[in-house]
Amino acid sequence: MNLVRQSFAILCVNLSELRQRIGSVLTIVVGVTCAVGVLISMLAMGAGARRQEVGDARSDRVVLVTSGARYGQSNITRDEAAAITGLPGIARSAGAEPIVVLESMVPIEGRRRITGKRIYFPLIGITANLRDYRPELRLTAGRMFQPGLHELIAGNSCVRQFSGFDLGDRRPIHGMDWTIVGRFDQGQAQQCVVYADVDGIMATFKSNSYASVGVRLQAAADFNAFRNAVAANPGLHLEAKHESAVIEEDFKQLNAILDFVSYFVGTIMAIAATLGAVNSLYAIVDSRRRELATLRAIGFGSGAVVVSVMAESILLALPGALLGGALAWALFNGLSASPFGYSFQLAVTPSLAALGIVWALAMGLVGGLLPALRAARVPVTTALRAA
Amino acid sequence: MKYLPLVWSGIWRNPGRTVLIFLQVGVAFALFGVLQGLKTGVEQLIGAARADLLLVHGKLGLVDHLPLSLLEQIKSVPGVKVVVPVELFLATYQNPNQKMIVVAIPPVEGWLSAFTYTIAPDDVAAFRQTRTGAILKAPLAKRYGWKLGDHIPLMSMIAQANGSTDWGFDVVGTYTDSDIGAGGDALLINYAYFDEARLTGKGTVAHFNVAISDPSSAVTVADEIDHRFANSPNETRTESLRELAQSQMQSIGDLNFLIRAILSAVLVALMFATATMMVQSTRERAPELAVLKTLGFTDRAVFCFILAEAIAVFIAAAVCGLALATAVFPLASKFVPGLSMPVPVVLAGLGCAALLAAISASVPAVMAAKSTVPAALARL
Repeated sequence: MNLVRQSFAILCVNLSELRQRIGSVLTIVVGVTCAVGVLISMLAMGAGARRQEVGDARSDRVVLVTSGARYGQSNITRDEAAAITGLPGIARSAGAEPIVVLESMVPIEGRRRITGKRIYFPLIGITANLRDYRPELRLTAGRMFQPGLHELIAGNSCVRQFSGFDLGDRRPIHGMDWTIVGRFDQGQAQQCVVYADVDGIMATFKSNSYASVGVRLQAAADFNAFRNAVAANPGLHLEAKHESAVIEEDFKQLNAILDFVSYFVGTIMAIAATLGAVNSLYAIVDSRRRELATLRAIGFGSGAVVVSVMAESILLALPGALLGGALAWALFNGLSASPFGYSFQLAVTPSLAALGIVWALAMGLVGGLLPALRAARVPVTTALRAA
Repeated sequence: MKYLPLVWSGIWRNPGRTVLIFLQVGVAFALFGVLQGLKTGVEQLIGAARADLLLVHGKLGLVDHLPLSLLEQIKSVPGVKVVVPVELFLATYQNPNQKMIVVAIPPVEGWLSAFTYTIAPDDVAAFRQTRTGAILKAPLAKRYGWKLGDHIPLMSMIAQANGSTDWGFDVVGTYTDSDIGAGGDALLINYAYFDEARLTGKGTVAHFNVAISDPSSAVTVADEIDHRFANSPNETRTESLRELAQSQMQSIGDLNFLIRAILSAVLVALMFATATMMVQSTRERAPELAVLKTLGFTDRAVFCFILAEAIAVFIAAAVCGLALATAVFPLASKFVPGLSMPVPVVLAGLGCAALLAAISASVPAVMAAKSTVPAALARL
């Protein structure tokens, strides 16, 4: 109790005279602000990417893939597709049809509206019951594509990013003109996606197998039964996976790179900021030698001195954390980025802000340790005599 | 020169503080080296990608196959030196996770000039003579323990005429690839053997490799090739390897803004920290500096001492930091094959360090130069 009271008393004195040490204080605050700001902004990329990837995933949606294949690169025959329709546990649409969507995927090219640069993105051939499978898809203009016709519907993010996706635009694909008949929003997705009739796409590209099959279950709890039914069927060489699992696998590499880069840069900056804080705190402690010696002479313990300097260090780091988090939020939250060809919006989330504060506390703690020990070891007599 | 000991002792007046500043600057420049080096390194790789090597593929990319018969028409375009058809497919060895790309090429006269591969002449001759011959990269051979003369069984989605999806090739040599995306595991085989053996898709190719005589005419030749096939069932898209590299690396270009923001934050924080530190230490040293002046050193000399101390510490720290960055660079080449630390980045880093030192030392240096002897000594 005594330790706490003494530390608090010293801390109050220390804080009151910080005004004279404005340079050192600002060094700590600016250093921590930059380190935390950069860390949070970098992690905001990963958080944004993840939020978009799995933001629309639903636990009652199951994706069937060939064992070992990446998403969208499976080979599922028409026979297999027909067999899937008969499996138990599949939800049914208003017309009592099982909700099974068959997909095939080909890359098509777009031109960026601003730079005119070419970029490839997926054209997904899909069955017309797409909206039973993805209720989050909302047509904002035009209508759904019709099976058998060369028609496309494009996500609104395509329209924003690329030229040639306005309603009524014709896109030549394999020597035929395909018309854009609708535009849609799909949950949180920022990635450009274009849908067309799956049979039309497969006929155009002379393909005979589907690249992926999606199934909506009656209830999320049916998953295990459904997976076992797939495994037990000798005609199906497929694996059933939760939609979120498939997406996570697909983005594993991107997420790993984003995380690695964030923590790598964040750690280096934290080290630099901590070194700066150590230096400033040493300067602050050195300038207080006489006061510290006086305190010790009138009976304050060395433990109280250590605690007070550490507390001061942490208190100086905290505004940096708040400022850094606020700056990251103001500058980067909601900013669209498309590193590695995948577009998403940066997201500065509360958990990232909390992480930034923890990070700053750690910097304060580590940075305050050595200066606190030096403060506690001020030799009373020499320090007083020098005065 | 004779003032060096003075500068040296000035640097070590407060060793703890100097070491901390040194570490801080070193860490900051290590980060500078990694980030800026990555960006510049990628730009250099793009610049080094071959502009005289064109790829002719179907308009929709690699899913779109082209008939072999386009070859003569492409050859007749002025400026075209060599045209080589290339077919690609995916194969696996033993289990579905051990994937590799198989590249089927006819080893026609001068074919190597249309590729980024380097192959020993003996291996090329062996490849020509062995119908089922395969050339691969040394690391791939090492991974699976394949040696010259080995027969390697592969699985693929492509069926042979007899219905089997198993393929076998004989290792006849090794090659190296200087292309920017050369990280992939690719196996070169004879197109003639593959095309004859496969069940469907005979006579089609994934793309044509075209070597042209003049790199500066790449755009004209590419446009001319695409023009010949416009409005035909086989519309083409012709790109040079450099253009391909550009679009591949576009993603890293998107990070430019972020890299710039991070580096500015680092350098601003650094400048702030060191400037405060130096003001502090100059204040402490005021009496000593006054003694120097009493001994006859001019204001200008004292100004230069402070500046020289800062620049020496900064440059030394930056050298260490950049050396550290260069040492970790091989790690980054995992993501971008062929990346190395560019020399201009090192030079820019050193220049940046000197500039930062000059800026952050200028305030204390001016303070030191302006202080008068009586005022400073009075504080003793």
